[in-house]
Amino acid sequence: MTTHTHSEKPRRRGFWRWVWVGLMILGGLMAFNVGGYWGGIWKPVSPAVVLPAEQAWPGWYLLPPGILFAEGIPFTNTMFSVFLASLILFGITFLVVQPFVRGGKEVPSGFYQVVEVAVEFFWNVAQGAAGKWAKAIFPFTMTIFLYVLTVNLFKLLPIHETIGYAKEAHGTVQGYATVPILGGAVHLLDGSHPYDAAAEGETHEAEAAEHGGEGYWNSPEPCHNCEIVPTFRGAATDLNFTASLALITMIMVQVFGMRALGPGYFSKFINLKTIINKPFFGLMDFIVGILELISELAKVLSFSLRLFGVIFAGTLLLAILGSLTVVFIPGFLVGLELFVGIIQAYVFSTLALTFMSQATAAHHGDEH
Amino acid sequence: MNDPEIFLQAMRYIGAGLAVIGVAGAGAGIGVVVGGAVQAMSRNPDYTPTIQTNMILGIAFAEAVAIYALAVALIILFV
Repeated sequence: MTTHTHSEKPRRRGFWRWVWVGLMILGGLMAFNVGGYWGGIWKPVSPAVVLPAEQAWPGWYLLPPGILFAEGIPFTNTMFSVFLASLILFGITFLVVQPFVRGGKEVPSGFYQVVEVAVEFFWNVAQGAAGKWAKAIFPFTMTIFLYVLTVNLFKLLPIHETIGYAKEAHGTVQGYATVPILGGAVHLLDGSHPYDAAAEGETHEAEAAEHGGEGYWNSPEPCHNCEIVPTFRGAATDLNFTASLALITMIMVQVFGMRALGPGYFSKFINLKTIINKPFFGLMDFIVGILELISELAKVLSFSLRLFGVIFAGTLLLAILGSLTVVFIPGFLVGLELFVGIIQAYVFSTLALTFMSQATAAHHGDEH
Repeated sequence: MNDPEIFLQAMRYIGAGLAVIGVAGAGAGIGVVVGGAVQAMSRNPDYTPTIQTNMILGIAFAEAVAIYALAVALIILFV
């Protein structure tokens, strides 16, 4: 039986390989608009790069306008992926890990093995770095790793930054004409018809005001100068996400320091103990403490900017190169971005672990 | 030069280009880190996993500086 399946496997893989190669060639031909079906929707569109997060869908609010703030809190496209990541992690916890722990089986199997390998690896690292405080610190760093990893892996989803609502393009963003399909319910951007302000003049202004009144294109008519606001965007491309993670991490560092060393932990920052009996070196210690405080604040900045910069630059690279070359190069770049996403999640959690275990260790001020 | 908007945009591109000069330092830094790690690994292959972990951490630190420069450039260009 086993030999049969072994002989079966390579042939099936060979078949699918040719299917994928065929699809790639077909995609390349379509990108160069061979056939001209549906206008130029297969042609790559140069990306609309927007740094701040945008509303995921018109009218989606976390807090509707007028309740606490006049403008309300919009449900942004980066929040969407944060909530999805939380859902996936809850799902893994309650559908995979809990049943195994409750079930009392000895030998792990299936997807649970993957979880166990990751957790065991991080547990060993945490024990090596934090010693007896590993048990308190480990859940926190592990959560950060899984959270950032899940959020970064969303880059592999096809819906990432591609599906959204059409909006009138403004400023330096290049707008495109749209092709309505399904009776105008869905619009596709037409890559072969970029909007040229000099050629078309102001003729579409009135039309845009009529059909795009509520901030998005809401008519079956084709739009002449539209961009897509993605409904789903990687969370780490939003500085708010990374900065909040960094703030939580640095606050937890102080909390672990407090728990390990008591109120004496804060003498690391405001060091007045030695200033009385050793005036000169005491003053030096005080200045070093102030510097320590500043470096603690700088860590928040470096934490948040590192994750944000790497992921945003990666997304930008994918978008720009994806609009230049269509089929071949972006595949490799997605692989590179996958690697970068894993490394950044690992770096974030390892740095958090390092800072926390440093905070729990007694510092030099106590020794002399 | 007559259109202030175009002049401003040109200045933005120049500024972004100047901002990413900082990436050169990070490149040199990553080279030093990996060079040291490869030497250490070839002398002491048993410690490869430990060295590799530390190497990746070091690369991430060096890369962070490049990323700051890149973030500045991106902010100049797109905000």
